[in-house]
Amino acid sequence: MNDETKKQINAKYERELQRGERFWPDSIFKDVVVSLGLFIVLVLLATFVGVENSPKADPSDTSYIPRPEWYFLFLFKFLALYGQIPVLGKIEWLATVLVPTIGIGLLTLLPFIDKSPWRYYTRRMLPLTVMGLIVIDMVLLTMMSDIPTVAEDGSKLLGLLQTTAGLIVPGLALIALFFMAYKRDENPVAPMLWTLGLAAVLMIGFTAVTLALAPPAEAEEAVASTLVDQITAGQDLYSVHCVECHGDDGKVTVIEGVEGLEGKEVSPINSRDVLYTLNDASMAEIINYGRPDAGMNPFGKAYNAEGLTKSEIDYIVLFMRYNWDDRFEKPVFKPLFPPLADGEVPSYDVHIAPMVKRYCVSCHRAGKENNEFVMTSYDEILTTGDNVDRNLVAGDETSYLLQVIQGHAILNEQGEEIIGVMPPKSTLKAEYIDAWIRWILNGMPQTAEDAAKLFVAPTPAP
Amino acid sequence: MWKKAYEWLDERLGLNAMYTNLLDRPEPRGNWWNTLGSASLFLFIIQGLTGIFLTVYYTPSPDHAYDSVQYIMNGVAFGWLIRGIHHWGASLMVIVVFIHLLRVFFTASFKYPRELTWLIGIGLLITTLGMGFTGYLLPWHQMAFWATTVGTQIAGTVPFVGEFILKALRGGPELSALTLQRFFAAHIWMLPAVLAGLIGVHLFLIIKHGESHYPSQDE
Ligand code: HEC
Ligand code: HEC
Ligand code: HEM
Repeated sequence: MNDETKKQINAKYERELQRGERFWPDSIFKDVVVSLGLFIVLVLLATFVGVENSPKADPSDTSYIPRPEWYFLFLFKFLALYGQIPVLGKIEWLATVLVPTIGIGLLTLLPFIDKSPWRYYTRRMLPLTVMGLIVIDMVLLTMMSDIPTVAEDGSKLLGLLQTTAGLIVPGLALIALFFMAYKRDENPVAPMLWTLGLAAVLMIGFTAVTLALAPPAEAEEAVASTLVDQITAGQDLYSVHCVECHGDDGKVTVIEGVEGLEGKEVSPINSRDVLYTLNDASMAEIINYGRPDAGMNPFGKAYNAEGLTKSEIDYIVLFMRYNWDDRFEKPVFKPLFPPLADGEVPSYDVHIAPMVKRYCVSCHRAGKENNEFVMTSYDEILTTGDNVDRNLVAGDETSYLLQVIQGHAILNEQGEEIIGVMPPKSTLKAEYIDAWIRWILNGMPQTAEDAAKLFVAPTPAP
Repeated sequence: MWKKAYEWLDERLGLNAMYTNLLDRPEPRGNWWNTLGSASLFLFIIQGLTGIFLTVYYTPSPDHAYDSVQYIMNGVAFGWLIRGIHHWGASLMVIVVFIHLLRVFFTASFKYPRELTWLIGIGLLITTLGMGFTGYLLPWHQMAFWATTVGTQIAGTVPFVGEFILKALRGGPELSALTLQRFFAAHIWMLPAVLAGLIGVHLFLIIKHGESHYPSQDE
């Protein structure tokens, strides 16, 4: 740029200043309005959306799907799609290093690459359309970031669609734009805009198809964020993993009914002896590593793929502290489910599932002795068990399940016991038994909506 | 009385000169797009203020980081609000800075005499993203831990020096207490210092050259 052009630019700027505004108060006013608006948005987001919680970091849990801050997602997706390209896709550093470096490099050196004095939009069609293309691609890649490139059944259709939307179409459009900018004589404003528009429509179209075909996202397991939630989660985990040896209240001193450990003496883990001598860290350590020499298996993820994560172990420790350790004051708990009104019909989702999780699943899951009666899901409860046709019979008060939870063991014709009372070493609270009875008598509805349809308003007493 | 105090201060600080130089400047006619730079600055200040509050309770060790953040959310009065603002402010700042970049790109404001303003701006963009990357690990939750594992792994694919970069970022072959310590130091000391310094130069250049005007057809 020679001095003459510079002079012209500066003179033009002086003229613009003459017919311009004052920084104070004209510009500042707008600045303050926007900043204030952003502040309000922030407070609203913090109050009504909050911060998503995720479990504590656990270096042994490699099954976790990493998820960066959302504004890096487009890069992750780009890498994933790039990996689909044959041959080239295998050279990782081309995508991880070369492409971003070139991107940032071009952006940095922009004032030295584009040295022309032209500033009006139609005279800068190439940079503007290319930037437009890139921004659209970034947005679309971000939107597709959660969708796998290979479906569960091995179909690559999704991957192909995404690659088309995110790499192929923008790539072709890029080539076309450069071609037009350099090959045409007159300034090709309209054709370049058309190219950008067409590419955008195609990219958005392919993305829309991808999103429509994508499998619905799995509901993520909610993370317990309040103390009460954490203790409750700990209690559920304790019920599943620990009850068989330590009992539901931690009182057990002699293990009964556990293969290989029959008659083994243990210190009651609800006692001061244990709770006062072990601090939280060593307690978590014991659950993590187990007491293999004494017969307690390690529960940590590091030792067993099905095991507990760091957060889950912490929840169990919290549960033990707040229930048994007299130095801790138990916070107020939500009941397992809201109390049932007269005539209200309980549902599996709201009422039965939490009870089953707390009181039955520790024994009624795969790999335990339970007459093959698995209770980990709605369907399994209805379709498994040696006595499946008698356990839950819609409308039948003599369903085996109802009998055993009310303290009547089931005997066969010879008078031998085939099913003992359930749960074997304790009794359910009356309101829980009542919920079971209402549920089975009304045909075992699964969802809250199904149950609501069965609601019969109690007839007022005359 | 007030007048006297003002005059005394003005004599020593040059308040009047500051007013004419900083505030009472002529500017080309602008529009709402011109507010994005000051909005970025505002968000930077908000992040600084809320961040300082967070460091009062946050503990940068793998054993306590997660719990200290949980405590901020549940135990500290208005901790949830401060953390919420800091969390969303980070995302918003990235968006606003990026749109600010797009605006100066589309109006070709990076051309003579504002090339250096643009260069410093790129430094600001990279540092802002660096703040996001380092801040994300601090709560030490699963999502962050594994995202950072993968993120640093990507840095490790650079030919020849990748291994070195990886170890420098992680402070060892694996993510560990050292990594957290390092990211913490970068997030609260190094990067903010860089950011503040660069913003200073950025603003100086803007006042020196004035904001660019919107181009007309003959330019
Ligand atoms: C297979 C049976 C079994 C299961 C399941 C089991 N434990 Fe144990 N646990 C034991 C035995 C055996 C010991 C050793 C008892 C001893 O040394 O007094 C033990 C010891 C302990 C101790 C240490 C007690 C002490 O004296 O220091 C704790 C705490 C403990 N278990 C907690 C748990 C928790 C929490 C769970 C559930 C995640 C669990 N256990 C599951 C069998 C079991
Ligand atoms: C401590 C372990 C344990 C717990 C807890 C437990 N069960 Fe059982 N359950 C068993 C065993 C073992 C059997 C096999 C029959 C027997 O030995 O009595 C069984 C059998 C049954 C059967 C008969 C299945 C069939 O098809 O023969 C029903 C119904 C049942 N349980 C219901 C429940 C319910 C409902 C709960 C929760 C409130 C529960 N159980 C909790 C151990 C348990
Ligand atoms: C923390 C981040 C940033 C802050 C706080 C900041 C602040 C500002 C402010 C206050 C202005 C004047 C008002 C306006 O035009 O909006 C401005 C202008 C400018 N910024 Fe930034 N900026 C940041 C990032 C960037 C980035 C990422 C770039 C581009 C690479 C950039 C390039 C420019 C340019 C070229 C101008 C001059 C615009 C003109 O004169 O019209 N800035 N910046």
